[in-house]
Amino acid sequence: MRTQLKVLGIESTAHTFSASLVSEKEGVLTNAKDVYVPPEGSGIHPAEAAEHHLEVAVRVVREALTRQTLRGSAIDEVDAIAYAMGPGLGPCLRVGAVTARTLALATGKPLVPVNHAVGHIELGCLLTGAKTPLVLLISGGHTMVVAHSTGVWRVLGETLDLTLGQLLDQIGRFAGFASPCGRRIEEAAAKSSRYLKLPYTVKGNDVSFSGVLTAAKKLMDGGASFEDVCFSLQETAFAITTEVTERALAFTGARELLVVGGVAANRRLSEMLTTMADRHGASVKVVPLQFSGDCGAQIAWTGLLAFKAGESLRSVSESVVRQSWRLDTVPTPWRD
Amino acid sequence: MKLLYRGAEADVFKGDWCGHPSVYKVRNPLPYRLPELDRLIRSQRTVHEAQIIHLCKVAGVSAPHLFHLSPSEALIVMEYLEGRRLKVELLETGLTKGRVEALGERFGASVAKLHEAGIMHGDLTTSNVIVDGDSLSLIDFGLAIRSHRLEDQAVDLRLIKETLTGAHNSVSKRFMQSLLAGYSSVLGQSRTEAATKKLAEIERRGRYARVE
Repeated sequence: MRTQLKVLGIESTAHTFSASLVSEKEGVLTNAKDVYVPPEGSGIHPAEAAEHHLEVAVRVVREALTRQTLRGSAIDEVDAIAYAMGPGLGPCLRVGAVTARTLALATGKPLVPVNHAVGHIELGCLLTGAKTPLVLLISGGHTMVVAHSTGVWRVLGETLDLTLGQLLDQIGRFAGFASPCGRRIEEAAAKSSRYLKLPYTVKGNDVSFSGVLTAAKKLMDGGASFEDVCFSLQETAFAITTEVTERALAFTGARELLVVGGVAANRRLSEMLTTMADRHGASVKVVPLQFSGDCGAQIAWTGLLAFKAGESLRSVSESVVRQSWRLDTVPTPWRD
Repeated sequence: MKLLYRGAEADVFKGDWCGHPSVYKVRNPLPYRLPELDRLIRSQRTVHEAQIIHLCKVAGVSAPHLFHLSPSEALIVMEYLEGRRLKVELLETGLTKGRVEALGERFGASVAKLHEAGIMHGDLTTSNVIVDGDSLSLIDFGLAIRSHRLEDQAVDLRLIKETLTGAHNSVSKRFMQSLLAGYSSVLGQSRTEAATKKLAEIERRGRYARVE
């Protein structure tokens, strides 16, 4: 007797390989992951990250399926297998797709493709209880202000060049750290209160960070301390981000602001967003730290929503990956 | 004074200036922004906005008259325009096709005149257009820049498109078409085509856009 839907989700868009089991009523049951860490001073090498994913895939999936005490083999209890179809790094995406495909072929379970960005948002809604929020999606892959309207998550504003995650990572790498560097930047910034001028670029509802990065690198080359640069970088980039979020909040009149993605973990940014949202009487809901970075749960949960709404691939041969796949092109039948 | 609108970066009040109904636009300190950065941005944007409003009028585009400017207080006092925001107008029930087209064309012509004069509004959302019967005025030049680059013109148009699909999806296609017709009536077909081509190019540059 099946009482509720269960979905296994597999995430592998970038540095994280993760698998998660979710159920309709209980939400996230398991969330196993293994993160590829590049050498100090460098970023993700797609092929090396994919190699890492291949090595850990079986163990991570097994962990996601066995941590929970389930009758018989856990995979039998699963109704569908969701995987991150994109957007992301090709070699990494393919490892997740192959894993999902293999499980689907071996068990005969249907495959559900999930957009990674939509995954961040829907998991954020589940975990924070947000219903129809304005969403700030900030990670290494995205910097977007998004709201749901007429069947899709629509982009109200976004970066025209670098993402917030890339900006932080690139300055961190410039200083010799390995990506992701967000936490190290935050720690360094906390040690300074000396503001060095950096370009402040808002274009309508969109932001641009390439000028900030170039200027910050120049400051470091000119002998400025890493702490001062990090402080100034955070103050500038986060104020820019908060400003465009405030514009969207004022425009939509949303009552909730949901913050998702890896950079949601930054406390200075949350603080700025909370101060801002207070002025508009909106509440800020930040995805719990444990789920702010990439994880299988975002794929499993969104896969469950999609599967419940009748979505799945007709055959395994359709289980391609899409390196480029904007979230505003993804139908969201579960929200209609 | 009555608060008309609490915007993202400024509070807008309705008041009186020497007997004229007027708008007080104050860029209040944003508490989340570092004070020294905040002061600089507020006063720069205030002066800049006043300059742009003047240029806008020179270009023949309707905008509020300026009454008073105070950079240190980040305050502009200007004429209160009668009418409604285009955003409200487009959400009206019983909005006719003809009305959508007329508004689109008029808006497009105004934007084209600005672009011809080298002014990029920078924030062309439907909240920043005041409609009074058949006349249409632009407000909020806080993010405007001076430029003659095609790229900047296309970025301006892109924001209109983004706002339309985001907030007025049911009329967005028709409105955008009329807007481009109005734009073309001022700048001519070839410059309009160049701008829309650039706009498509910018959209393709968007992260994860499908190149078609």
